[in-house]
Amino acid sequence: MTTALLDGAHTPAGPESPQGPRRRRARRATPRNTLTRGAALGLGVTMMWFSLLVLIPLTAVVAAAAEGGWDRYFSVLTNSQTWAAVTLTVTQALLVTAVNVVMGTVIAWVLVRDRFWGQSLLNVIIDVPFALPTIVAGLVLLSLYGPNSPLGLHWAFTERAVTLALAFVTLPFVVRTVQPVLEELEADVEEAAASLGAQRLTVFRRIILPSLVPAVMAGAALSFARAISEYGSLVLLSGNRPYETEVVSVRVLTFIENGNNASAAALASVMLFVALVVIVALDLVQRRVARRG
Amino acid sequence: MSIDVSGLTKTFPSTGSGRRGDFVALDDVSVSLPTGQLTALLGPSGGGKSTLLRIIAGLDTADTGTVTIEGTDATRLPPQKRNVGFVFQHYAVFKHMTVAKNVAFGLEIRKRPKAEIAERVDELLKLVHLSQFAHRLPSQLSGGQRQRMALARALAVEPSVLLLDEPFGALDAKVRKELREWLRRLHDEVAVTTVFVTHDQEEALEVADEIVVINEGRVEQVGTPDQLYDDPANDFVMSFLGEVTHLSGTVVRPHDIDVSTSPQFAGAVEGTVSRMLRVGFEVRLHVLTVDGEDVSVVMTRTHARSVGIREGSTVWLTVAAGATVVPSMRAASQVEMAG
Repeated sequence: MTTALLDGAHTPAGPESPQGPRRRRARRATPRNTLTRGAALGLGVTMMWFSLLVLIPLTAVVAAAAEGGWDRYFSVLTNSQTWAAVTLTVTQALLVTAVNVVMGTVIAWVLVRDRFWGQSLLNVIIDVPFALPTIVAGLVLLSLYGPNSPLGLHWAFTERAVTLALAFVTLPFVVRTVQPVLEELEADVEEAAASLGAQRLTVFRRIILPSLVPAVMAGAALSFARAISEYGSLVLLSGNRPYETEVVSVRVLTFIENGNNASAAALASVMLFVALVVIVALDLVQRRVARRG
Repeated sequence: MSIDVSGLTKTFPSTGSGRRGDFVALDDVSVSLPTGQLTALLGPSGGGKSTLLRIIAGLDTADTGTVTIEGTDATRLPPQKRNVGFVFQHYAVFKHMTVAKNVAFGLEIRKRPKAEIAERVDELLKLVHLSQFAHRLPSQLSGGQRQRMALARALAVEPSVLLLDEPFGALDAKVRKELREWLRRLHDEVAVTTVFVTHDQEEALEVADEIVVINEGRVEQVGTPDQLYDDPANDFVMSFLGEVTHLSGTVVRPHDIDVSTSPQFAGAVEGTVSRMLRVGFEVRLHVLTVDGEDVSVVMTRTHARSVGIREGSTVWLTVAAGATVVPSMRAASQVEMAG
């Protein structure tokens, strides 16, 4: 009917025209080195800083562990006490991450979508578990769930204490990654879905959730990483009982205190591997969900 | 009548804590919008026209008053149950879905069979000329294309009314003009009752069958574009639909003033040309009358040359025969402001 007219409508490359950014990206993808002197300096500084702080120490640990060969890994991991610590740490970290994915999203939702008295105060307090020295976090939890618990919940020195401490210190991660994304969501998109007949739950599942998944996964990765590395809050609360509440970081410290640095390095590199696997897995989930309609 | 609105009042609580008094967006608005027509809600920003549209769609609720759509009382119906298509100024696309998925959304919600959905989506994409973009994401489309997709998405559920809130407001001038013509043709083809909000009088005059002029929460006038232009109810409607100037207590359009270099007609107002501006075929004059009024006059270059007008010349102004004239409210409003 109006083909000629509409073809005209396509051609002007307005600010939202897709050609603009894509063409630029294509140019950047050429193998030619496009670094200016300033950018080269920036990259150099970044790489040096990253190497000094992260890459070289990590390589040193892996190298120290590798000196003993596969046998060392095998003997460290087959030690039943160490294996118990590894499984406890990983399962608790996964459990706490799963809890955070749900609770963190709920808290972020409440903070962004609802208006209530004390909201801005809550918004500030969310960060406290993160800001508190972890040994203090342990102390705080001990007062409520310890031997003198006013609630009658004597969870200290049990597996629950580990869950509790990890949940406490990882609470803010998902909240803080989801919150800004939720704030950015446009109200008219939800209204459009509603006027097309979608109920609240459908709007959440099909419109809001897909936009939140990348942020939730990023928060989950942070939360998991923090959970498998936690030490301070567990020292007081869990009692470090072998086979029951002893986590990997405590086990590593024990190795070092006994002068068994090689085993400590082996265990450390195992945990490094676990962390990598989980973070890559979360990233893959995020990519898949972001692509799916 | 397809949409009947009666006695609608809507106030928004003032946001600032210090200020008192709520903002009245709609003040006892009653209007009937005819079936199968393309109606424009026209008015300045903040005049309440978007609020009216959102209340019809159920996205906002009125404090008092009723909304009837196709004979059923929709006042208390949630937006999901009104069978209304809504198009937003900023497209409101579902970013993570392809163009085809966006259009299919309403049909999937209604759990139509897959084959039927695919067929209908195909048909709609053809209608809005986006067939070749079916598998693209909205971010890969231009603004005009996104808005056409949003229109197809709204039409997919076969709404009883189609509501468009400043649909072309975010587009650049050229695309806006093309889409506006295209909307008119689309409406002639689909013939669904359509209401669109705009603050652009040219857009309303060009596209709409009927225009409802809304200002400060009240309906100023309802009529066809010609009725509004030729017979405005008051000086607000007149000044909103085009340029106006004031000449001896009346509001008149600048091109409806006759200029002569001698006092030929009784009642002609004497004045001096204080400024003269030539823009293409058009000459714009500012005439300072002996009563102290600054009147602007527009005439063609040819006419100005034949009369022999230049800056500083003395002229006599009369309102042309057959011109649209409305008594000026300026004097009255000045008294009001002083009091």
